[in-house]
Amino acid sequence: MASTLAPQRGAGLGLDTRGQLLRRVMRNRKALVGGVCLLIIALAAIFADVIAVHDPYTQNLRNRLQPPSGEHWLGTDQFGRDMFARIVHGARISLRVGFVSVGLALLVGGTMGLLAGYYGGWLESILMRLVDILLALPSFLLALAIVSTLGPSLTNVMIAVGIAYTPGFARVMRSAVLSVRQLDYVAAAQAAGASDLRIMFRHVVPNALNPMIVHATLALAGSILSAAGLSFLGMGAQPPTPEWGSMLNSARSFIRAAHHVVTYPGLAIMITVLCLNLLGDGLRDALDPRWNR
Amino acid sequence: MAQFILKRILVLVPVLLGVSVIVFALLYLTPGDPALLMLGEHAPPEQYRALREKLGLDDPVHIQYLRWLWRAVQLDLGDSIRSSRPVVEEIVERIPGTVELAVLSVLLATFIGIPAGVISATRPNSWLDNIFTVLALGGVSMPVFWQALMLIIIFSVNLGWLPPSGRLGGWEYFVLPVVTLGTSAAASITRMTRATMLEAIHEDYVRTARAKGLDERRVIYRHALRNALLPVVTVIGLEFGNLMAGAVITETIFAWPGIGRLAVDAIRTRDYPVVQGVVMTFALSYVLINLIVDLLYAYLDPRLRVRYH
Repeated sequence: MASTLAPQRGAGLGLDTRGQLLRRVMRNRKALVGGVCLLIIALAAIFADVIAVHDPYTQNLRNRLQPPSGEHWLGTDQFGRDMFARIVHGARISLRVGFVSVGLALLVGGTMGLLAGYYGGWLESILMRLVDILLALPSFLLALAIVSTLGPSLTNVMIAVGIAYTPGFARVMRSAVLSVRQLDYVAAAQAAGASDLRIMFRHVVPNALNPMIVHATLALAGSILSAAGLSFLGMGAQPPTPEWGSMLNSARSFIRAAHHVVTYPGLAIMITVLCLNLLGDGLRDALDPRWNR
Repeated sequence: MAQFILKRILVLVPVLLGVSVIVFALLYLTPGDPALLMLGEHAPPEQYRALREKLGLDDPVHIQYLRWLWRAVQLDLGDSIRSSRPVVEEIVERIPGTVELAVLSVLLATFIGIPAGVISATRPNSWLDNIFTVLALGGVSMPVFWQALMLIIIFSVNLGWLPPSGRLGGWEYFVLPVVTLGTSAAASITRMTRATMLEAIHEDYVRTARAKGLDERRVIYRHALRNALLPVVTVIGLEFGNLMAGAVITETIFAWPGIGRLAVDAIRTRDYPVVQGVVMTFALSYVLINLIVDLLYAYLDPRLRVRYH
């Protein structure tokens, strides 16, 4: 009985089929430009070893702080390392940090929001008060406080940023669950004897996916910025790891001698975050019915 | 309204208690012994034991928390490990630096963000709208620390117009930190104003205002903007919170004597009582700003007050 209800999901809600949604996303210029740019950055990160001919760690002190040239496209840093190689390898680190921390926040926050929205009552009160407490600090400060306790490392940054972004996902998931929780097909599934777990994952979660995807894309942008900020303060990736924020931090003292050492890592962060924001904005325009009125 | 204010304040009590648990846990979960941190590795054992007893480190954790909370309520957050001065004193000394930076940045952001958002929304898809949209998207995507370094390169290193750091007196020391902090806030306010204005100018009351024959300027500023500004007030409030976070980085780069820099210095030197104090101060101010925003919102929009009755 429950399975026969599945294809009708969203009926009467004005929701579209997956094909229609995909077409709407593809037609959105912002989503398309952001998505394509992000794909290029992701491919560069995956094939970093092939794209960058120089090793990102090899020092050459006789060749330090060289401006961009045919040999070193983005110049060299204070230790004579190739900036292009370090930035391309840095994409790998930044994207990994972003995906892991957002994945963590999505899993924990999504589960919290799902349970709170589905069961309501005292469970909802406890979980949402916890969310309120975590939201009492701006996410970057919360991440900074957590990482100061755990100690500076890239793994701890991922955990800290993940925790800091958890309450946002809990709120989005809860409100999405609340909007479908009272609908007839959920009541019908309950009447047909479907288990809570089955109803949650077959009927409730799929309808909460759109706002979660939009939120995750924008959170990915924020988490990459936060992680780079923490590394910039010396709380995240440690030298010689080619992480963009950490590269900016160690190159700070050389801006008078050669400003390219701070210009390019920052540009890399900005372009990546811009692509994610474009994609997030575009997805929101295409997937969130409130923005399509 | 009084009932609304009371209810909102009561909601804050459990939130602040929860925050205090987190802040206390920061020190409790930190690897290492606070007494050893204060005395150093080579302290005589009797001195070490005496300090542990004085700090109550051998008591059960809930007793330690309650004692810490009781003292914190009386504005006693302990002494700094680094300077041996009371933490509250150190924080109070730095508050004006952060507040002046935050207030000036929010003012700058509001004066740029609201007009830019209104212009964008009233001329959708025009070249001006496209420019503001791109600039706003760039503004929210730009890392604050990179922007700060770029401003230093351009205006201090290359042009020599402004000092690269410090706060020795004149207005010129404010320009770079305020612009750095204000840019991303201005971008957020522009985006929000544009979105809410676009929604507002399609509302029935705007159509009615136009049908009455009011001139366009009056329709936009007296009718649409007044309603569109409500969510913008929330964004401005939230931006205050983000500015506090941004202040941590900005104050560090510009060697600005505020709480943000105090936090980073304390984390670097593992001065945990100061870290706790700063985090608690940030949380308290963020919560209070949100309260003020909520009250302002309720004042501006009577529908919200009704919901609380």
